[in-house]
Amino acid sequence: MLVSEIEVVTPATLKECLTMIANEDMNTRLIAGGTDAVVRMKEGKWRPSTWVNIKGLRELRYIIEKDGAIHIGPLTTHTDIIKSSLLQKKANVLVEASREVGAIQMQNVGTIGGNIGTASPAGDTLPALYVLNTVLELSTRNSKRIVPIEEFFTGPGRTILKKNEMITNIIVQPHGENEIGIFQKLGPRKAQSISIVNVAISLLMEKDRQVLSGKIAFGSVAPTIIRAKKCESILTLHPLTDEMIQNVAKVAWKEVMPITDVRATAEYRRDMASSLLERGLYRLMRRWENK
Amino acid sequence: MLTFYLKVNGSTRTVLCHPTKTLLDVLREDFQLTASKECCGKGECGSCSVLLNGEVVCSCLILISQVINQEIITCEGVGLTTNMDIIQESFGAEGATQCGYCTPGIIVSAKAFLNGIDYVPTEDEIKTALGGNLCRCTGYTKIIKAIRTAAEKELVIKGTVTN
Repeated sequence: MLVSEIEVVTPATLKECLTMIANEDMNTRLIAGGTDAVVRMKEGKWRPSTWVNIKGLRELRYIIEKDGAIHIGPLTTHTDIIKSSLLQKKANVLVEASREVGAIQMQNVGTIGGNIGTASPAGDTLPALYVLNTVLELSTRNSKRIVPIEEFFTGPGRTILKKNEMITNIIVQPHGENEIGIFQKLGPRKAQSISIVNVAISLLMEKDRQVLSGKIAFGSVAPTIIRAKKCESILTLHPLTDEMIQNVAKVAWKEVMPITDVRATAEYRRDMASSLLERGLYRLMRRWENK
Repeated sequence: MLTFYLKVNGSTRTVLCHPTKTLLDVLREDFQLTASKECCGKGECGSCSVLLNGEVVCSCLILISQVINQEIITCEGVGLTTNMDIIQESFGAEGATQCGYCTPGIIVSAKAFLNGIDYVPTEDEIKTALGGNLCRCTGYTKIIKAIRTAAEKELVIKGTVTN
């Protein structure tokens, strides 16, 4: 299939879109911001017979607070997230992660639904969504299911999403008064880089440096995002002193299972995952003490 | 082949092409607006930057079908030799361009950035704003200086800052 032979259809509503992707005779694929889709089309990897262009589907672009949760439409751009005062206040870890996605050109068109759907192990918003207990609403023309984000990914670029299904809502749990979060990334350079390792941390604090519970999610160190459950379990044992932080970081070194690829060796990733977690926890404690 | 309408640099334009042609190829091949350049073709270098409804985007990653009736500003729309923008004048005055390949993209990014602020930005802020634009000649120092100069001049004109 040549690029010039591919058709583009633009549904006016979500309902129309779900009907289009339900048509089994058509080889369709969704295109939103296109920052990944167009690159893959050019490379010859993604050549559907029809692109279903959802870029302009306004009804899927929103950030609202509802029943104690924050609902984010899948077509919300990274720039929308960065500018959202609601997310800055109640889910800052996602704002920090969105700032690290590509550069401004990518943030202006790239969408959060696209970042999830692409399922890159290095996707920057994904660890942040993990620590915010995100659940995804997946819809077909005549059904809906709610899936925790941990169960959505099955491998690099692979998800449980069916051909006739799309992400229609992203529901995150906002941070309360005593909850703090941070996102840390290591890339080859500051702007416009794919993560070598990234990590999102969310802690529920008691008082001083005592942690009641914590969530840590690493990106780029496994086929999908992983929760560092062993690190999480020792966070609460003692107040998070500088010495404790170093111990947690040592556990992370053992817990991650990275591979060697073009961006870095497995050994380097292991060292950096440990360092990023250590740095993140230090910075988080400083923020907590200055709060 | 289909007909598409879009607004480019203030006027409505029509193009007959296949629906997956990139906005960049339409601008260059069909509208002969060749300031926007293709370099990496995958959104890493910023040479193809244009404004889409006022926001800077990579035109090499946007399909013509996705910008029907929308507003595009290219570097030509920011200013030509006869009606240069303050940013373009500053690039000339500071010697912020060498081979010139990345310059139109950087001018467009700088335009979007300065449109969104009403103060003289710091060096770090300029670096962040230009994070998606690569230049392999200048070493960026003069580009950053030119953008600061342009910001200062714009504020003087607006009367917010006096020299």
